[in-house]
Amino acid sequence: MKKGDGELFLFWLLPALGLTWILAFLVFPGFAPPMSPTMSAEEVAAFYRDPNNLPWIRYSMIVFNWFSIGMIPFLTLIVVQIRRMAHRTPVLSYAYLGCLTGGPTLLFVANLFWLLAAFRPERDPALTQLFNDIAWVTFTGQVGFLVADCVFLALAIYLDRQPHPVFETWVAHFNLAIAVALAPAAFVAVTLTGPIAWDGFLSFWVRNGAIALWLAVMTIVLGRNLYRERRAGAIPEAGFAG
Amino acid sequence: MSAAVADHTRARPSGFLGRIAWHWRHDPKIELWICWWVMVSFYQLFGIVFVLMTRVMPPPRPDWDQARIVQWFSDNHTGLLVGFGIIFLVAGMTASSNAIIGYSMRRMSVSRAFAYSYIAIYSLSAIPGMLFAGILLSVGAMRPDRDPRLLAWLYDAGFLTFVGTMGVFLIGTLVWMIAILIDKNRVFPRWFGYLNICNLLTEFVVAPCWIMKTGAFAWNGSIAFWVDTGVFVVYTTAFIVLLRRMVIREDFGDGPLPDPS
Repeated sequence: MKKGDGELFLFWLLPALGLTWILAFLVFPGFAPPMSPTMSAEEVAAFYRDPNNLPWIRYSMIVFNWFSIGMIPFLTLIVVQIRRMAHRTPVLSYAYLGCLTGGPTLLFVANLFWLLAAFRPERDPALTQLFNDIAWVTFTGQVGFLVADCVFLALAIYLDRQPHPVFETWVAHFNLAIAVALAPAAFVAVTLTGPIAWDGFLSFWVRNGAIALWLAVMTIVLGRNLYRERRAGAIPEAGFAG
Repeated sequence: MSAAVADHTRARPSGFLGRIAWHWRHDPKIELWICWWVMVSFYQLFGIVFVLMTRVMPPPRPDWDQARIVQWFSDNHTGLLVGFGIIFLVAGMTASSNAIIGYSMRRMSVSRAFAYSYIAIYSLSAIPGMLFAGILLSVGAMRPDRDPRLLAWLYDAGFLTFVGTMGVFLIGTLVWMIAILIDKNRVFPRWFGYLNICNLLTEFVVAPCWIMKTGAFAWNGSIAFWVDTGVFVVYTTAFIVLLRRMVIREDFGDGPLPDPS
């Protein structure tokens, strides 16, 4: 592994793609403010039929469909960091790798149902409401793989016992805190009102804020690691080959 | 390695928390033990949620009319929503099971392609095999006043994705089975290789659930559900015990594992 191994290309994809996610998030009319789960089927259908909303629902979700999977190369760089830690087995990197497609894939499923609801807004309002419910419950509630990745990374950092560990210990504490912030959103379907509902304080603002904060902080710590490794010339091989 | 050997001889404190702290600080196999315990905890939680909370196992009947399906959603409203909330939260624990099973294949005298394809297949399996059912049945339970025709569709789709997702488990089990049977490092006994065949066959036996609405081969049937679930429980228990033995015998070398003493 040399300076030109391409990891920096994958790394700089994230800030570029991150801008598209922020853009899609701000433009999607369903997020500003988040749609209420208490809307009737007729109100949901009217939201999709509204000529001020419909194009923006489609454009923002097409952009999100293009770029949401772009999170995977970034998460894969973290797998490579775990492989450089002083572990005796590769199991924690396998666990991290096993989770990292799940989160973005489930976001993708939510995206498909939003696009489906917008494809024929004249459809029976009960069906539009059903697609909208599936999209919101999937988008908000499927935090399990993200939570597990935070916990597996924290464990990997705590067990990286060497004089110059790959990440500092605070990164592990930070990932555990993010896992706690994401957890309540798993119960999104339990109630249609209050902080757990999909437009609520915990399920919408805390969950999405935690993901944005995690991406920002991990971009900085991962970027520092990648540039430090390249300044040092060679990248230390992992203790366990393969 | 000498440091690890010295750690082994260090006195282990008594008491539950003291022992956990000792393993965390000194046990060279701590990563493997974490994966093993997370796997065991996941299957316990899975059983509690699917059997006791959501009442999805054993499954209700596929031939109910719409009114009875609406009744089922309302009878199990809270159990479905809270239970699947737990499953959504802990779904990533399955990665720990896939990681340690993948590692068992890295320990064998076979190509790393086996471990990688097993991990890739099983990382995908939770989505059609478990999470779709959770999402669809939660969406059904969250609005009891939804059009009964749509509730009936969510009920069908929830149970059929859960019971009728076959290929990922079929091919995943096949990969592990081949690795065990050609392995020269004796990571697993041969009988467990053959037990994989039983688990693999259940995925064929369950296929008629996509066609039958009553009888032994329907999704709640005595064969498609009860026999298959029985095989799954025996198989899962066997590999949990055998993986524990693998971790105990592990010496972090490349060749055959030492015999259990």
